[in-house]
Amino acid sequence: MLDLFRDSPGRLFVAATLLPLVPVVLLVLSGTARNLARPHGRSGGWASSIYWLLGGDHSLKTGGYLTLAAMLGSAVLAVAGLTQYFADAHDPGLSPAQIEARWTERTDWVRIGADRTDHPATALQLGYRIDRLTALLFTMVTVVGSLIFLFSLGYMADEASDQVTDHEVHTDGGHLHRRGRFGRFFLYLGLFAFSMLNLLIADNLFQVFVGWELVGVCSFFLIGFYTERPSASAAANKAFIVNRIGDAGFLIGIAIAFSVFGTLNIQELIARTPADGSTPTGISENLWLAMGLGLFLGCVGKSAQFPLHTWLPDAMEGPTPVSALIHAATMVAAGVYLVGRCFPLFAPDVLLVIAYVGAITLFLAATIATVQNDIKRVLAYSTVSQLGYMMLALGVGGWTAGLFHLLTHAFFKALLFLGAGSVILGLHHEQDLSRMGGLRRKMPVTAYTMLVGVLAISGVPFLSGWYSKDMILADALGFGAAHPRHVLLTVLPILTAGLTAFYMFRLWFLAFAGQPRDRHAYDRAHESPWAMTLPLVVLAAFSLAAGWGWPVWDATASYLGHLLHDGEPAAVAARFGSELAAAHEHHLLAGGLGLLMAAIGLAFAAFMYVARDPTIALEADTPLITLLRHKWYFDEAYDAAFVRPTVALAAAAAATDKRPTASVTDDTEGRRIDPGTLDGALTAVGQLSARLGAWLRTLQTGLVRQYVLVLALTVVVLLGMLTALTRNN
Amino acid sequence: MTDLGLTPFLTLSAFLFACGILCFAAKRNAIGILMGVELVLNAANINFVACARFVPSLRLEGQVFAVLVIVLAAAEAAVALAIFLNFYNNHATVDVDEGTELKG
Repeated sequence: MLDLFRDSPGRLFVAATLLPLVPVVLLVLSGTARNLARPHGRSGGWASSIYWLLGGDHSLKTGGYLTLAAMLGSAVLAVAGLTQYFADAHDPGLSPAQIEARWTERTDWVRIGADRTDHPATALQLGYRIDRLTALLFTMVTVVGSLIFLFSLGYMADEASDQVTDHEVHTDGGHLHRRGRFGRFFLYLGLFAFSMLNLLIADNLFQVFVGWELVGVCSFFLIGFYTERPSASAAANKAFIVNRIGDAGFLIGIAIAFSVFGTLNIQELIARTPADGSTPTGISENLWLAMGLGLFLGCVGKSAQFPLHTWLPDAMEGPTPVSALIHAATMVAAGVYLVGRCFPLFAPDVLLVIAYVGAITLFLAATIATVQNDIKRVLAYSTVSQLGYMMLALGVGGWTAGLFHLLTHAFFKALLFLGAGSVILGLHHEQDLSRMGGLRRKMPVTAYTMLVGVLAISGVPFLSGWYSKDMILADALGFGAAHPRHVLLTVLPILTAGLTAFYMFRLWFLAFAGQPRDRHAYDRAHESPWAMTLPLVVLAAFSLAAGWGWPVWDATASYLGHLLHDGEPAAVAARFGSELAAAHEHHLLAGGLGLLMAAIGLAFAAFMYVARDPTIALEADTPLITLLRHKWYFDEAYDAAFVRPTVALAAAAAATDKRPTASVTDDTEGRRIDPGTLDGALTAVGQLSARLGAWLRTLQTGLVRQYVLVLALTVVVLLGMLTALTRNN
Repeated sequence: MTDLGLTPFLTLSAFLFACGILCFAAKRNAIGILMGVELVLNAANINFVACARFVPSLRLEGQVFAVLVIVLAAAEAAVALAIFLNFYNNHATVDVDEGTELKG
């Protein structure tokens, strides 16, 4: 069996991708069997024994353990694959073409048309291609995923009972009681893991799209996990629909690529584009721009960039491990990953658009995060802002910087979300920052691991976030120096570095520092079990050390950064050579500015939330704060511009089918003809036929004399006709 | 009689035909209808015989047809009477307006 992997070690990654499907299948089968056997639970016989074997009235936790084991297995395989890849990359005996052959495979899945003489039939293919970026990202996803699955075993423990009380759903007579859904949660998580990993190893846009949609579907299931809550269902719908808007653009990009180039394989597409980013032969410039913009629109939807950012904060309705996994570390990273992979396919104008979208997003989301009171909302907007940083970096030529930030961000954002989950669970589902305070004494592990995360995201030196953020700011400054027209692309990220530090420290101070604001919640608070705090500690270690290199104090010396840099496509250096050189020159200036802004942000946060009473700041109510609290009124604007007209159109369309209200019975015979509605018009056809027939019936009187008269008159008429026709002979 | 010409006879025949139609269309009594039928047939007979007399090429055919028509009239009267007898058995009357079973 091992020689399966010897010649194509890339299959390690394929095996790692398919491994999470095993518990998914098992969970589906066992869940179905259990549900089918449920009515016979108490009647004895083999159906009853199946039911009780599979857990009986409450879910077994075995599904969760199996899913965790599968994910750990994937992580092990991924690490093995990663080490093998880097061994191959540094092996002097292997040429790049040989490495390529060892780590890529593909097969035709559906053939379209027939084989021609000069080229084989076009086909939809399935394949994988491992390169540095893929290997690193895959490992990150599996490792972070394993930690989050472990965390979920603790967080979702109360779903494994047969009676769960949902405090947010009110029925007559108190809160909703329902059966626990432990197994289902891990089913969705396993399916998500498979989809995301499939997306990562895909070598053609079709497979990426399949994975893309699947992660969107899993996100829908997981956000709407608490199905009885209307807010959760609405949020799940919103996430899926807004994602779909982006996917429409993605499909347009795919369609253009397929129709013009005849292939969807990313490497083949890249091979057809000139290194300096001008329009390739065989395609018009507008179509080339449209393809790039279409692909980017998909990323805008998936990575919650402006203007499709509205779904991510609402997605916090899902359980916290979902927010950590999907909306911090993995799914939203898919958009950035795609931009990184397809970097040579974007024209320079499209890259500029990407940079501006990223810049607007990072600023917008940071401003909103400064006034949010829900701990998860702050983190959600923080994610949107950091994704904006990554897109900005990619747009200004900082390929390595953007993807490095993706890796480090995954670690510290997952840490922050899991920490938030630990706080929420410790306070018995309290999420409002204005009711927390002083928790560092009650939940020390959570508090100090989250501090590491906060320090990392603010760009404090020697933590992983510093290395990646420093690189992004340097690249932005370099681009701004080379193109003074686009000064906004330099000013906004530096300004927002200050805002980031401000709102993250605000979160930490409000939750963990100072005095408790809600004594009742504080007294009941407790630290979380080891299943939940262990992942926090591990992630804190990663957030601390992921960026380290030698020497540690040199921001450009990060080991991970160098690994990524070796995998940079040639197009980056070809197009952005001068900007990157300028970035390297102004590196220290950028770093200094970033640190200065972070320090200012920290100082403001300390002043407002530690030095003086936090309630002053929490209860402040200026027009600017109202604007920010309402998220710049984006939701209201979209509602008025898109949702209401669509609903009105739907109501008007439905009105054509609604029954008329007056003098209607179900009996078609007695109903009046009503051509105004669709139903009435169609029935009118039958009604008219019936009336015509009824009139014709009146001709049949049954009177013999009348029949005789008609006969006689007919004869006379015929005779007359005969005479008239033969007269002129 | 020979210098009367064909036309008066055809007119007579047409008049008798009309009377016959009127009779069997307007009578309620079944026997009355039969009388109307007889009138129609006899009008046809006059027509045949008159044409035989005044159209040189039809000298014999007309008279033969007239005899044929008389025979057929007799046969048809027998059949019609049988039908009306059946009608009487079912309706206890010979008023044809009572026979409305075919009313749609």
